Amino acid sequence: MPFIDVDNVIKEYDNAHALRGVSLGIEKGQWLNIVGPSGSGKSTLLNLMGGLDSPSAGSVVIDETDINRLNEDGMARFRREKMGFIFQQSHLIPYLNALENVMLAQYFHSMSDEKEASEALGRVGLSQRLRHRPSQLSGGEQQRVCIARALINSPELLLADEPTGNLDRENTRMILELLKKLHEEEHFTIVLVTHDPFVAQWGQRIVTMEDGKIRCDELVCRL
Amino acid sequence: MSSFVVSEALATGFKEGFKAGIIWLVLIAYLSKHDRSSLIRSFHAAVLTVLMATPLFLVYYSGPPAKDAIRNFISFSFSLLLILSAASLYHASGIKPDGPLDRSDSKAFLMNRFILPPLIFFLTVAFFLPDMLGSGSFIKDLAAIKESGRSTYISALAGFASGYLLWSIIYRTLRPLWIGGFFDIPQIFLFLSVTKLLGGGTKGLAEMTLIPSVQRGFMKFSHDFIHQTFVFLMVPDHQLLKTTTWNFIGFFFGPNIAGFAALAGILFFPLLFLYYRLFRPLPDPLAETGAERRKVKSGLLFDRRKKALPVMLFVLLVLGSWFSESGESLSKLYIPKPKPVVEDKGLILIPLKDPSMDIKDGRLHKFALQHNNQEIRLLVINKTGGLSVCLDACEICPPEGYGQRDSNVVCVYCNTPIPVDTLGQAGGCNPIPLSFEQDEQFIKIGLKELLKKREFIPTGAAGEKAG
Ligand SMILES: Nc1ncnc2c1ncn2[C@@H]1O[C@H](COP(=O)(O)OP(=O)(O)OP(=O)(O)O)[C@@H](O)[C@H]1O
Ligand SMILES: [Mg+2]
Repeated sequence: MPFIDVDNVIKEYDNAHALRGVSLGIEKGQWLNIVGPSGSGKSTLLNLMGGLDSPSAGSVVIDETDINRLNEDGMARFRREKMGFIFQQSHLIPYLNALENVMLAQYFHSMSDEKEASEALGRVGLSQRLRHRPSQLSGGEQQRVCIARALINSPELLLADEPTGNLDRENTRMILELLKKLHEEEHFTIVLVTHDPFVAQWGQRIVTMEDGKIRCDELVCRL
Repeated sequence: MSSFVVSEALATGFKEGFKAGIIWLVLIAYLSKHDRSSLIRSFHAAVLTVLMATPLFLVYYSGPPAKDAIRNFISFSFSLLLILSAASLYHASGIKPDGPLDRSDSKAFLMNRFILPPLIFFLTVAFFLPDMLGSGSFIKDLAAIKESGRSTYISALAGFASGYLLWSIIYRTLRPLWIGGFFDIPQIFLFLSVTKLLGGGTKGLAEMTLIPSVQRGFMKFSHDFIHQTFVFLMVPDHQLLKTTTWNFIGFFFGPNIAGFAALAGILFFPLLFLYYRLFRPLPDPLAETGAERRKVKSGLLFDRRKKALPVMLFVLLVLGSWFSESGESLSKLYIPKPKPVVEDKGLILIPLKDPSMDIKDGRLHKFALQHNNQEIRLLVINKTGGLSVCLDACEICPPEGYGQRDSNVVCVYCNTPIPVDTLGQAGGCNPIPLSFEQDEQFIKIGLKELLKKREFIPTGAAGEKAG
């Protein structure tokens, strides 16, 4: 059984069919990118994998756990211990500095550890920016804080929805190179949603969605 | 009268049953947390044994000496608990790093089969037997007051059953097995000590707790220890040191200082434990990732805090009860005027009662005998278990005699409090005890005995004899 097994998932909203039967298996350690036009259901699929939403039909099994069967507490614990999230908007706490934002994630997981948090920020190249607040950081730097925060609890799965959506080409490349380095070091699984063909090249596999279905699923060997 | 007897018996039985029940609950919660619930059988067996042994003992032994023995037995079992708590607290505090734990199956089997059951049995018996004997003999006395003793015994048993059942019902309805998470071996011993301290009294409603007698015992112990050390260190004695030094030392024997010393003695290991568990950093556990390490560590820290809670409660409880009991200990010293007595054919007779006094009223009574133009003073006081007759002097201080403050006699010279119930012991700061006979009317003391014991009194200036 693959690490993530999405089985014939359907997601319907009142007036829209966001997903019309999607099945997808993802091996452990794989970096998979989801691409497709706006409204094709990419974010919906990612949210289902993160347990942020539940499917109308079908199942999502991660590491042999059917996440839709977990109760609220169980889901929160599962997410806390197995998953990291990065979004287009950084969602950093504005009145906490970079270090404190990372330490907060540690705290919700188990307990904070300043030394470990500052080392993690060092690995994303921010050792000179520990005490800066989000408003004092550039967009690329903010996104790097988010990467440090998402990975601080050693998740097995990193879910990223348009992580470079707000960045210019230079910063996008920097973020992707960083992710690539960390992925090689720590072997977590990445599912990344993007509509940018440049970003899509960076993974090992590209899934193209259209109108709530998978249109194309190809392995690329960039890594 | 009879309803009073029945309700006293009921309350006393209830107290013992309540104690047994609450201990059972804590124990079952602790044991099931460690997958050893079957060991609770040893506890039940021990409680049953004590329940059966108590009447047997009371049938075959009676009278005041047995009561003294029971009191000593209770103090002994309480001290044992304190020592066990102290040792296990020390062990668990983490001052000494743990050795490698042998958790092999064969060892666990041996523990579960051959070591823990008799250990639990023994400790349970050592805990309950003294208390039950104390309460039992009290109930026996109650039964003797009343024409039909049977209802007294039945109400005591009913009290025991309902005290025990109360916890049984709580267990069945609430299943509070989570409380097991607050206990390790030291916490269990502390819990047992508190249970005994708060519920170990042996005189029914009049004396529910052990606190006053424990206070007295500790005060006496710390006082005797310090006093004897000073006496020992002051050899050879020097004129200049005498009175001022004794006055200075006496300050340490005031009930408050001695009480503080005793309190410090009880709280030392719990506080040490709390300090090491709460304020010393936890070494980082080994783990592959930082997240895992933090998770294990936070679990350990949480466990530490959880298990510090009962210890903190113990400290607060002891502090609270200690101060509430010792609030009035600074009342004025009562020094009665000696009444003259005479010697007749080698015997001194002291009446138990005359129109002006009742010697058994619990207050200090002094008497003076003129012998060869010298005055010999005696003191008589009623204590638990009968009268105590002593010289109004000890073997150490100049013979200025004793006064009374609450349940202590106090040396006028060095301000040493001596619990009344310990009078009759020879040596140190205790008034020198006299052997005597007693009938319906008189206390009879031989002149020879008196003169012989007078030899122990230091004559003249302070410390001569002591030196
Ligand atoms: N909460 C919602 N309520 C109603 N409809 C929704 C909701 N979320 C998404 N949809 C609809 O589901 C469809 C898929 O949306 P989704 O956000 O997955 O698209 P997407 O591929 O991520 O698009 P984009 O690239 O623009 O982010 C869209 O038609 C959208 O309008
Ligand atoms: Mg989207």
